[in-house]
Amino acid sequence: MGKIMTRMGDGFPVEMSENQLRGDLAAGTEDAADRGKISPLSKEELQYLFDIFNSPYRFVSTEPGKEVVLSYDAAPIKLMRAAVNVHRIQSLQIHEKLLGADTIELGHIDYSFKPVKPIVGTEQTVLEQTLLVTHAPLFYGAMPNLGLYRQPDGPFPNPSELMQLGKIDEARQSYEMAVEDAVKDIVYVSSAMYDSGADGINMDTTGAAGDADFLAGLKAAEILKQKYPDICIELGMAGEFVLGLHGELTYHGDRLAGMYAHDQVKMAEKAGVTIFGPVVNSKSSRSCPWNLSRAITFIKACCEVANIPIHVNMGMGVGGVPMTAHPPVDITSRASKAMVELCRLDGL
Amino acid sequence: MAVSHAIASGMGGMRTAGDLVARMQMTRGMKIQEAKNYVADKLNVSISDLTDPVVMTEVREELEIGSLNPLPGCLKGLEAKMRIAEVLDIDINCIRRLRNKGLL
Amino acid sequence: MEKTKWLEKAAQAILDADEAAAQDIAEKSLAAGMDPLEMINEGFAAGIRKMGDLFDRGEVFLPGLVVASDAMMAAVKILEQALPKDKQDQKMGVIVIGTVEGDIHDIGKGIIVTMLSVHGYEVHDLGRDVPIENFVTKAKEVNADVVGSSAMMTTTQLGQKKLEEALKAAGLRNKVITMVGGAVATDHWAKRIGADFYGESPQDTLEKLKERLN
Repeated sequence: MGKIMTRMGDGFPVEMSENQLRGDLAAGTEDAADRGKISPLSKEELQYLFDIFNSPYRFVSTEPGKEVVLSYDAAPIKLMRAAVNVHRIQSLQIHEKLLGADTIELGHIDYSFKPVKPIVGTEQTVLEQTLLVTHAPLFYGAMPNLGLYRQPDGPFPNPSELMQLGKIDEARQSYEMAVEDAVKDIVYVSSAMYDSGADGINMDTTGAAGDADFLAGLKAAEILKQKYPDICIELGMAGEFVLGLHGELTYHGDRLAGMYAHDQVKMAEKAGVTIFGPVVNSKSSRSCPWNLSRAITFIKACCEVANIPIHVNMGMGVGGVPMTAHPPVDITSRASKAMVELCRLDGL
Repeated sequence: MAVSHAIASGMGGMRTAGDLVARMQMTRGMKIQEAKNYVADKLNVSISDLTDPVVMTEVREELEIGSLNPLPGCLKGLEAKMRIAEVLDIDINCIRRLRNKGLL
Repeated sequence: MEKTKWLEKAAQAILDADEAAAQDIAEKSLAAGMDPLEMINEGFAAGIRKMGDLFDRGEVFLPGLVVASDAMMAAVKILEQALPKDKQDQKMGVIVIGTVEGDIHDIGKGIIVTMLSVHGYEVHDLGRDVPIENFVTKAKEVNADVVGSSAMMTTTQLGQKKLEEALKAAGLRNKVITMVGGAVATDHWAKRIGADFYGESPQDTLEKLKERLN
């Protein structure tokens, strides 16, 4: 029996037998089904995944007609990170004309709403100039990033420190105060960008600081939608389930902590979010077949209940893509094809 | 890496009709198939044409809705977006802003 | 009552985060002749391990873990009194931990700190944006068994490599176990810089740490 070349979750190559590959695909979906209390992939879907991994080709793709919208988050920041010396506006022109971006997104290097607030006027001017020379729909993107509202970066007592001292009520109060401040900042910056002509606002990596972070994103989305009924809001997540750092925060009566993608999207819909971006973390110590099978199981459950478009996150270390700065095309193309076709996605 | 996605499963951006389909998701909350149907109908092309750069280059040039290698004198950038709003029959925020300022 | 029943009851008291029940079970199990060390390790600690697993799955939340930890501490206090003097007040290990200099992300590290404390480790949390020399100084001061570092970004990850080098230069590297964590860390990264292990999640960290300390 021949060996199949694939990769581990950290991107390094590994050879697997057919049985090992099938075993990892089955274990991945079972892990997701068990954690998310959702259906595992069917035999046919697992066979479909097996065939993709068993393909002798370096690069695979979706069938014609099954292509989806590709949105790039934080695009100019990625060129900066690569030390490519172009202005953000030029970067976005490169993305829409040369890199196949269906949407583009302007963001500040800090990529959080809070630090953008005091320089919002400068950001608006850049956005307005970008709109003059670009064609694709333009998002302004940033993270709610509740970590910036705790001491020493912000005004409120550090909940991690309080929790370690057993001061649970005080920690929770700190989170609750941070939510209120973050919502104000998100609404302020987003309103400015929308008033300047942005096509949409992307709240990226929501939930990075736990359930309070997710709540801030939802509340801000709700306020923005009431203020601007036509606004497009994309809400992207940070992890596969909402970390319960507060533990008791609710949105419209539902506890946010512990929610997986199929429940998160219902909250996003209630908040008036236009496009939802679920995340499933890749485990670097498991194989890519295990990770992809697992990720597809979570995302498929989310797509099945969603009434709004789903743009799944498939960057470094998420959505079955390995945790490495330069994910290889063999595994990224396999993840792309499989995720799009099995989940009936609307976008990436 | 994102380029791998663009080639493996992306619509193609301005090379094709990817930006237009994205606009329908963003302005009307359409799921992918509905958005493709809508754009194909408005451009009077087939669904498969939407991701064909040869067909779409001609369509985009003719409609002046922005193209990769713009010809002299054709609509570009914000001007092209005015035409996109017209062709797709949608409100584009930055164009509405011009209207509100009394510039259109 | 059978031994397994006592152990199950102890674990359940922790899962219920019921301090009064945990104390009651500790006292009654001693009166019934149960081995206090076994009650701690196989009963109450098993409950905390299960809580950690549930936290990893999003079924238990951080405040719940803290309350369960209080229940465990109360039970352990009673059971420890029945242990020989040399076994009393033993720590699982002394850990110095922080987020490396230049990196202000401390939410993940905060979760690990809570989990380690809950599991009975003596944890010295240096916070975030911690200069490398501070890890070394603290490790010496508290005679650390473990030095853990967190880095969220590829740009700050190099701090973890510098920490390995600084521990070597200070003659401490062979005396401590080093663990790395953070969004961009991997097993390979740990091996590449000479760290002892990478903790992928709180539960993974606890398991690997226990294995190495034993």
